[in-house]
Amino acid sequence: MRVLVVSAHPSPQSFGSALTCEVLAALSEGSHEVRHRDLCAEGFNPVVSPFERLNHRAAVDVRLAGSPDLRGHVEDLQWCEAMILVYPTWWSGQPAILKGWFDRILMNGVAWSLPEGASRLQPGLANIRRLIVVTTHGSSKLVNALEGESGKRTAFRSVRLMFHWRTRTSWIAMYKLDRASAADREAFKKRVRRRVRRAVG
Amino acid sequence: MNALVIYCHPVEGSFCSAMRDAAIAGLTTAGHSVELIDLALDEFDPVMSESEWDVYVSGSGEIPRGLERYVDLVKKSEIFVFVYPTWWSGLPAQLKGWLDRTMVPGVAFQLNDKNKMRPTLTHVRRVYVLSTFGSPKPYVRFINNNGRRILVRAFRMSGSWRMRTTTLGMHQLDACTNADRVAFLQKIEKVLSRS
Repeated sequence: MRVLVVSAHPSPQSFGSALTCEVLAALSEGSHEVRHRDLCAEGFNPVVSPFERLNHRAAVDVRLAGSPDLRGHVEDLQWCEAMILVYPTWWSGQPAILKGWFDRILMNGVAWSLPEGASRLQPGLANIRRLIVVTTHGSSKLVNALEGESGKRTAFRSVRLMFHWRTRTSWIAMYKLDRASAADREAFKKRVRRRVRRAVG
Repeated sequence: MNALVIYCHPVEGSFCSAMRDAAIAGLTTAGHSVELIDLALDEFDPVMSESEWDVYVSGSGEIPRGLERYVDLVKKSEIFVFVYPTWWSGLPAQLKGWLDRTMVPGVAFQLNDKNKMRPTLTHVRRVYVLSTFGSPKPYVRFINNNGRRILVRAFRMSGSWRMRTTTLGMHQLDACTNADRVAFLQKIEKVLSRS
């Protein structure tokens, strides 16, 4: 399977980055083609520019000519069959750098289109059939449930609707990281490896 | 009271900027002193850097350099007004990053000796969430209005139980008429003039 791994953690020494290594290790055990985007390491700019906003209905080529840094990301998106997002949950959602990746890369003509007269978006990424999220939460599952799990809904509803309609999702999440012991962390790493291996098949 | 308008849209002259102006007009009518944070104008960088993250996890409560103005405004404002377009059912990255970077330990919350979160934004009385949507309302309800969830539910965890929230949304922005837009702006001004 062709797998795109998108990770977003500012610190390479963190537990979040260790989880990215686990994901990549799990994928290397199978016969997968893997592309990895570490948004923080490559210095991805998540802010939608005025040019992109003003031209968000224009042809894809026009926009890519204006923002050439997006071309590689768009190619990855159209290439992959499975997407794995690895990020820490902050304020119950994706970190800004990953949210901005959605804002800028999932563009009109790539992820969706709105034909003249239609009232609904047409999904544009039928090549993607698996969506896996690996994330950590500082607080407990109860607190996150009260806060509404915005990140989960953004990924599994808003973004997933642009993929193949039978896209399968896996939510691999650790809660209460603030109070987790070293053993808890090791156990979660093992779980990530096992579940990613199973989810991509 | 002190009111803080946090506005995020890349293009000046957009409908969101008209919503911002209507909000400021309403707050001024109500007699509040209004401060504005325009994230696009400030060219705010929403990405938390490695050094900033190190400070965050150390829990020292140190304010990241360059964000002192924002932190001062957050600490003294009783009314928060967020004005933004909803993208992918959530906040634009620039606004999400403003929360990520500004709402750090010591500003929005503190960890007690059991490493549990304790709120520090208890002075905030009202939060207004003003946003635009490309999609119709039923679709937004199905997907969930995650931007609102972050600003109302997650934000509430940092505030007092007395904090009241109001959401005003303009749905299906691409399909609506000029009259709808004017009516929405008047509604914003009216609601905020009663704040």
